[in-house]
Amino acid sequence: MTARRRRQTATAYLFLLPGLLLFAVFRVYPLLEGLRLSFTNARLGRAAYQFVGLANYTRLLEDARFQVSLWNTGFYTLASTLPVLAVPLGLAVALNRGALRNVLRSAFFFPFTLSVVTVGLTWLWLLDPVVGPFNYYLRALGLPARSWLADPATAMWAIIATTVWWVTGYYLVIYLAGLQDIPRELYEAAALDGAGSGHAFLAITLPLLRPVLLFVVVTHVIGSFQIFGQVFVLTDGGPGDATRTAVQHLYETAFKNFFQFGAASAMAWVLFAIILVFSVLQFRLLRGHTEY
Amino acid sequence: MKRRTFLAGAAATAAVASARPAVGQPKATITYWNGLTGADGKVMDALIDRFTQETGIRIEQQRLPWADLYAKLQVAVPAGEGPDVALIHTVEVPHFASDGVLEAIDDGTLGAKGFRGDDYLPATWQGGVFQGKRYSLPLDVPQHLLYLNVKVMKDAGLAGADGRPRIPASRDELVTMAKKIARADTFGFAIGTVNPGKYTWGFHNLLWQNGANVYAPDLKRAALAEPAAIEVAEFWGALDQHLKIAPPANANCRDAFIAGRLGMWIAGSWNFTGLRDAKVDFAAAPVPRLFKQPVVWVMPHQYSFPKTKIADRARREAAWTHVRWMTDNVAEWTLKAGQVSASRKAHADPRITGDPVLRTLLAQGANWQVGQPTPKWVAAENVTRPIIESVYTGQKPAKAAMEDLARQINALPD
Repeated sequence: MTARRRRQTATAYLFLLPGLLLFAVFRVYPLLEGLRLSFTNARLGRAAYQFVGLANYTRLLEDARFQVSLWNTGFYTLASTLPVLAVPLGLAVALNRGALRNVLRSAFFFPFTLSVVTVGLTWLWLLDPVVGPFNYYLRALGLPARSWLADPATAMWAIIATTVWWVTGYYLVIYLAGLQDIPRELYEAAALDGAGSGHAFLAITLPLLRPVLLFVVVTHVIGSFQIFGQVFVLTDGGPGDATRTAVQHLYETAFKNFFQFGAASAMAWVLFAIILVFSVLQFRLLRGHTEY
Repeated sequence: MKRRTFLAGAAATAAVASARPAVGQPKATITYWNGLTGADGKVMDALIDRFTQETGIRIEQQRLPWADLYAKLQVAVPAGEGPDVALIHTVEVPHFASDGVLEAIDDGTLGAKGFRGDDYLPATWQGGVFQGKRYSLPLDVPQHLLYLNVKVMKDAGLAGADGRPRIPASRDELVTMAKKIARADTFGFAIGTVNPGKYTWGFHNLLWQNGANVYAPDLKRAALAEPAAIEVAEFWGALDQHLKIAPPANANCRDAFIAGRLGMWIAGSWNFTGLRDAKVDFAAAPVPRLFKQPVVWVMPHQYSFPKTKIADRARREAAWTHVRWMTDNVAEWTLKAGQVSASRKAHADPRITGDPVLRTLLAQGANWQVGQPTPKWVAAENVTRPIIESVYTGQKPAKAAMEDLARQINALPD
């Protein structure tokens, strides 16, 4: 390496340094501190704690509530991925052209500008079993009212519906950006060859949207494994443990049930490992034929 | 002006300023954390303004939801960032005391500040003690009460000739009356303000009425798998599932009561000023005896002094002055915030004895009971919440749920 090249590299690292420092202090250090705590019986506010080896991890194998929360998280991730992929995609294709597209795009994007607490409280009221408008109209139509969030059969689906309503606008914008990148000539050529719109969607749109789909799936799956806000506001994990998710259980262990930071850190690392495995798998599965 | 002249002038000005007596300057400023996020917070603000006018001591309040307040205290105090005074619930005293978050209050200080046990109701005074040491002083007594929606009761034919609603005297009577009220969108009976399915404080009230408790008397093992606790859980599970008298597990009972969709409602005393503001026609009665004894759940608020890293006598004195002032003016708090005082002195105030709801609250004083004094109480409460909800919604049978709950409570770390 020449002296000039070395100088250029050093300058580049110098510019990177502030960002790297912040990353190290606020990301890497807490991560490693969490790993260290996961091998201890640390409790928030108590100065003294002991090293307990893998005890926090082995206890998770017997912790039925943690296992239920992992199962619920997995169910939520699986069940919500298809609607989160499909609903915004359908809307994006519909709103890619047309006179009112800008107004409609803004309208669909609006929910995403709301905080998760606002979204949660809104839907909590909409679905309220006694005074909520949803049940009011069901009764008015002669249909049986339900306590959507208090029924184990419907509570998780209600959370999924809320999430889809909330994030659709965000993914819609991403899809629209992807759709704009697809050359129009391809559709014209397909039309000349006699392909209908359905065929063009399957043969052109979907394959060329692959990078966008990959982005949506990966970010949604990572976000799903970390779902907390909607559950916290809408059901607090209930009824019973029917919607308790891994992060909710982790939070309660750390901040509600005796401030068990050691045990909560072990849960966080198990969750981290699961998310890592899924992310790698998704990249491998979807990377194959992607044109970037 | 030459530099030397300027410096000499500045030094002289500083010397004169430092020698001047601190007349007109405010006294100490203290920090006060509490969870009074409802209408009671505004009442506290007004009282604090008066306190500052009268004493010159300023108070910086930090107000956040109780659960967040407790987590913050647990972190901030060891870091030396805690407040001078914190208002906490009685059941929080044991774990904060055990974790070294709270300063112990010795008898000498207590006497010097004019606080005597005889001035307080025993259940509230004893709540500030953990393992023989005092850590807090009670302010007031949030407690349960039976609210009756007059219109709903009348519509169901449950009012007397004088128009007053009938008051159930037993569990059977309550169920019979509630069934008369219950329709598709109207409920006969509920316990708890929101999310009745997991209203642990209501469940505890019923447990205590049946002579059961969370822990055995030695406070070492959970006692929730005992037959008396299971009997309570069975009633809990029947409310919505079998008797069909109570709202769903996640209902907002307060809204339902205000909207005329709920007839009989056991809920906290903190609700009644809001019901008056909402112009609801309601009557209040003591919590009925639904099991063996007419116990009433109470959760006194306690003034505590979190530990500080550097002792500041002036601030501590100012904090004591505030607690003393609030205790002396607690009648105002009772009248405006709707919480009866822990101190007996205000109980004879004619404005309080003249209020039918406050009179009812005071009348059930002999039946008050608080949570057990163990550092694990709050964690046990948190574990209880989802399990009683699973009973309420019929996901789990009462016996299996209580056995599971006892197991989980016994597994809590020391």
